[in-house]
Amino acid sequence: MAASRSCALWSCCGRRWSRSMRGCWLSELHSSWSGGPLGARLLSQEKRATETHFGFETVSEEEKGGKVYQVFESVAKKYDVMNDMMSLGIHRVWKDLLIWKMRPLPGTQLLDVAGGTGDIAFRFLNYVQAQHQRKQKRQLRAQQNLSWEEIAKKYQSEEDSLGGSRVMVCDINKEMLKVGKQKAFAQQYKAGLAWVLGDAEELPFDDDKFDIYTIAFGIRNVTHIDQALQEAHRVLKPGGRFLCLEFSQVSNPLISRLYDLYSFQVIPVLGEVIAGDWKSYQYLVESIRRFPSQEEFKDMIEDAGFQKVAYESLTSGIVAIHSGFKL
Amino acid sequence: MATLLRRVLRPLRRLPGRPGPAADVSLRPRSHGAGLLYPDHIPTSPLQKALLAAGSAGMALYNPYRHDMVAVLGETTGHRTLKILRDQMRRDPEGAQILQERPRISLSTLDLGKLQSLPEGSLGREYLRFLDVNRVSPDTRVPTRFVDDEELAYVIQRYREVHDMLHTLLGMPTNILGEIVVKWFEAVQTGLPMCILGALFGPIRLSVQSLHLLVSELIPWAVQNGRQAPCVLNLYYERRWEQPLRALREELGITVPPVHVQGLA
Repeated sequence: MAASRSCALWSCCGRRWSRSMRGCWLSELHSSWSGGPLGARLLSQEKRATETHFGFETVSEEEKGGKVYQVFESVAKKYDVMNDMMSLGIHRVWKDLLIWKMRPLPGTQLLDVAGGTGDIAFRFLNYVQAQHQRKQKRQLRAQQNLSWEEIAKKYQSEEDSLGGSRVMVCDINKEMLKVGKQKAFAQQYKAGLAWVLGDAEELPFDDDKFDIYTIAFGIRNVTHIDQALQEAHRVLKPGGRFLCLEFSQVSNPLISRLYDLYSFQVIPVLGEVIAGDWKSYQYLVESIRRFPSQEEFKDMIEDAGFQKVAYESLTSGIVAIHSGFKL
Repeated sequence: MATLLRRVLRPLRRLPGRPGPAADVSLRPRSHGAGLLYPDHIPTSPLQKALLAAGSAGMALYNPYRHDMVAVLGETTGHRTLKILRDQMRRDPEGAQILQERPRISLSTLDLGKLQSLPEGSLGREYLRFLDVNRVSPDTRVPTRFVDDEELAYVIQRYREVHDMLHTLLGMPTNILGEIVVKWFEAVQTGLPMCILGALFGPIRLSVQSLHLLVSELIPWAVQNGRQAPCVLNLYYERRWEQPLRALREELGITVPPVHVQGLA
């Protein structure tokens, strides 16, 4: 149901036909498609096990996508409130650190995948806007002998307050995008922002399009993480940067036990009391445990073709920012 | 040591379906698969139950429209009382039948056409009228999730489904005043901590006039009726649809309410 809808969306968005044909993520289509430039990649997928994990449950791969969709559909409205409650507001610092690590230059084209409610996109826009304003001020200060009218005209004539930077928010879940759009409207973000419905494993974009690709707290929900990484590699321009903010493994045993205790005892209770949804938050904490460690994920990113891959653990390893370049 | 373990497990990690290190299993209650006593069961540790009880109590007071929070409070605090209720049901012949046959009151099990055709003043007809006037449905009740005994889970589910019957029997509407009166009746009848808490803290949100009315007339009436009536959980309502409401009230010793509370009389 969700698959056919996204198929229709992509085909009427005028993407390359081969991609939109392959876009329907039913595995039957994968096996029936033969030949062409995609053949070699598909052959390697045939031997893939058809079972995967959904938290601590075992489900088939087709099921997982649908189940994850349902989880985020039900949490979408309370997503931000719950993030604040569960992380005691620390998730804001993590996301800020991601942008500071990114240090986007003016004119950056950013693709934020699984960016549903827009946290990364809004921070990016704030950053580039502040940068642009600072640059403007510096320019004006350098030109000492302008009259007041000329200065006023300079400020007024400026149409693009972002210096050419753009962000595209892509998410597979309609409810999350809806919440994001409502937030953007409420906080008056208009310029330089676009919202697209798409699957991280089959991005509806051409090759070599973006300067930076970010995925914050989204990649562990993807059924085939390696495919998502390959797609990230494909849509980035040469010289482009891949950045991933994700929950990771805690190294310190004492903190790990406290973290486990908090995750499994408190978080589902918070989910039930605040959002009326125990199961989604149980899935959340289980999916965190299922995600590979910092080193393993680094290897997976390297396998997708990225170079100079590095990671930085935050808050004793509760989250990590992985970074790689397409060179 | 942890990193060594992880390095050893690394080739196995990439395969799906591998659980985490065994040491942490005690902190991770499973909420799916084997170990479920009934379909919606979520096993919880004592710490989780305590947190749930506190959280749901707070949330129910903060937002009285969160009926699911009241339900969760009942489930997490009522274990001992539910046992007493269940034992008492076993001793009563009609109650024992209910425990054995496990009838459920929901739109799928009720024959609405038949209830509609019953004569005025009968239990079935009045119950249907109550549902219509107050625009409620028996299907909006949350299923039991946090009770760790299958039979007790049924007892609390039955208690929830009988709650609507009590509204009909006592002639109380579903506004906040009516709900508090029914809670007082239930607190006396069942002794469930959730009922007692609801009865004591519910009036916080009432206006002064309603509070005065409640304290002077309605609570004494509810308490008196609760005391002298036999346990309402022991009534097989599904077999009593045709019984006239007045006759049922007489059988239970429930008197007419002293004040006409707005809504269904």
